[in-house]
Amino acid sequence: MSVLEELINQVVDSSQIPKGKRRQAVVCELRSHLEDFVLAARESGQGDDDIEKLVVASFGDPVQIAASFAWVYRRERVMLRISVFVLSTLAVASLLLPAILALQAGVAIGFGIPVLNVLASRHTAIETLDLVFTVAAYTGFVELEKLFDRNPFLKALALLALAVAVVMGACVAAELRAPFLVFGFVNGVFFRTIQVFMKSRMARTGIVLAGFALLGLVSYEAMPSRFQYAIAASCASWLVMGAGYRLMADLVARVDAALFNGLQRI
Amino acid sequence: MSIEREFLKGSISLLLLNLLSRGEMYGYEILQEASRRSANAFEFKEGTLYPALHQLEKKGHLKAEWRTAENGRVRKYYSLTSKGKKAAREYEKQWQHLTGAISAVLESD
Repeated sequence: MSVLEELINQVVDSSQIPKGKRRQAVVCELRSHLEDFVLAARESGQGDDDIEKLVVASFGDPVQIAASFAWVYRRERVMLRISVFVLSTLAVASLLLPAILALQAGVAIGFGIPVLNVLASRHTAIETLDLVFTVAAYTGFVELEKLFDRNPFLKALALLALAVAVVMGACVAAELRAPFLVFGFVNGVFFRTIQVFMKSRMARTGIVLAGFALLGLVSYEAMPSRFQYAIAASCASWLVMGAGYRLMADLVARVDAALFNGLQRI
Repeated sequence: MSIEREFLKGSISLLLLNLLSRGEMYGYEILQEASRRSANAFEFKEGTLYPALHQLEKKGHLKAEWRTAENGRVRKYYSLTSKGKKAAREYEKQWQHLTGAISAVLESD
């Protein structure tokens, strides 16, 4: 009976039970239950059409049942999301960092700036921290959104802000300066906001390029020593970063889905 | 007489632990047994039983085992663990205390 399978699928698909094997076990258990129900109904002389109606009426709301299963397996779901968050952050940051640094080195060479000025240890360290914390904030935002059915964006934003505030509080207590935390949070939230609220890909890319070109200008103003074409070099360097971060938004969605499906199968 | 869902919600763990203290059962069997023992008063939505069973299994009150019956049907049988037996006794005490207290209030007039 397709109604039985439909009911089971409705429950299991929205149950968010983390492991594939466990979901399969729930499918078997519910199917076995419904088969018993159908057999008993047939023995009492009911016709197939009536049985289908009876099954639906007595089984209960699949959405509510799925929500109860989701509650039962909430800890496993959170653990899986944390694992996906850590692995996605590492994977996306490892993919983007060499690409961004290589492009910035290319820009430097193009403007006749010594490559070491770009890839010098301090600059590389700042870029690495900015990128890792931006990717972490963005991926964290995405993972937190998946924990909520209603108002996921606002709830995830509030939780992320709380987490960042706690980490920053710890840094202040330890007398550690961590500007990359603020940069990562603001940047991650900015990219998630435009990803969620701007439907047009072109518009998203446009706003990122305009924003990062502007940051290039601000960065030029703050430069201690200026050289010919410094303004263009600064803008180009920031544009490379902006393009990298823009790529991050698409990359996170793919890496996250692949890792989530992969980890569920383990 | 049908029972309010909210009443049933809070007592489902007690009900399941008590039913399973009489021996191992699979989901459908538990519902039939609950319905028979309560003279059909317990007619809750069948699908809601399974999250409750899984919750008790996760708490360590129940253990489950898949078994194939003679007719080839595969079923998941639930039985009480020692922790579950202890919890069943504890829940029963609490229930009796609660119902005693509520009865005292209801009969106080």
